[in-house]
Amino acid sequence: MEHYSFFQSWLAVLCAILGTLIWRVAGVMLASRIPADGPMMGWVNTMAYALVAAVLLLIFVHPIGVLATTNLDQRVVGLAAGLVMMFFTKRLILSLFCGVGAFALAIEFI
Amino acid sequence: MNKSNYFKLDARQTRRNAMIDALRAPCYALCITMAGFSAIARESGFDFIMALTTSLGVWGMPGQVAFASLYSAGASLLIIFVAVSLANMRMLLMVISAADMMHLKSHDLPVWKRIFWMQFLAITAWAHLGFAQQKYPSHLLLHYYQGFSLTIFTFGILGTVMGFFLTDLLPPELLRVVIFVTPIYILLLIMNARQKANRLAVIFGGALSPIFFPFVGEWAILLAGLIGGTLASLYGRFIAKWHLETAA
Repeated sequence: MEHYSFFQSWLAVLCAILGTLIWRVAGVMLASRIPADGPMMGWVNTMAYALVAAVLLLIFVHPIGVLATTNLDQRVVGLAAGLVMMFFTKRLILSLFCGVGAFALAIEFI
Repeated sequence: MNKSNYFKLDARQTRRNAMIDALRAPCYALCITMAGFSAIARESGFDFIMALTTSLGVWGMPGQVAFASLYSAGASLLIIFVAVSLANMRMLLMVISAADMMHLKSHDLPVWKRIFWMQFLAITAWAHLGFAQQKYPSHLLLHYYQGFSLTIFTFGILGTVMGFFLTDLLPPELLRVVIFVTPIYILLLIMNARQKANRLAVIFGGALSPIFFPFVGEWAILLAGLIGGTLASLYGRFIAKWHLETAA
């Protein structure tokens, strides 16, 4: 499965790096031009939060790799346990362990 | 420690606090997650230096995974560039948002230094910055970010190295539990964002992406981010009038 020559494979790495770097550079450039407390900055922030939540929920619902060997019920149990704990205690690490612990138990018993 | 005590910290103490926060949990989970990338990369035909360079230079898990799977399929360089850009497009919003939270303008750094520090930004560091914003005054957040992001970056690179050489780092039963840590950790952080509109955006974006997925595949992420974020922003401005509340 040699698809690329040595030179091409490094060009591929460069493409991947540039594909990410352009956003970081553009972000730095735009950040100094958008007024801090304006509606535009608010919109950028809500979109960033919505995007990250969208990435995460897709990992929970349609995972790839080793997480795909668990089923949806097990992942939902873990997620719910963590979120409920966070909602009531507001303690990050405690909630994290609670969620991950519930997930581990769910894999064992569901 | 109450909020007034955080005001008394200097830059070094803030960096150290951030490092401790990173060492409490997220860095280990990220280490294993990057080991996971490295294993995928090796199976896709990467040599060690290529896998390492990808982690160092891209530093954004969704883009890296997209790159490795396209590479194994023998995709053209243009496709690789476009796919990685799309998978990591959220970097644009995260960088702007992080610069805003840290009041980066007030630190008066040259452009190359701002880009240098943003190179270490990925989902975990960004989400943690939003969480730290509730405790730390904004002039210390840059130092907080430096301590936090460099710590998890170090562990992520360590994970890339380990994952390439140690095939079965953890038994699969344990591995899937560890892989679960990073997504749930980030979700716990972002659902506690300071502004209500951002918390609402988490709910909208999170709810919409699995709904869109069966119809549009991976595009669901960008679509849910755009629509969910816009709805939350509009709701916050025009219906709930939260901006008045924050101004009061």
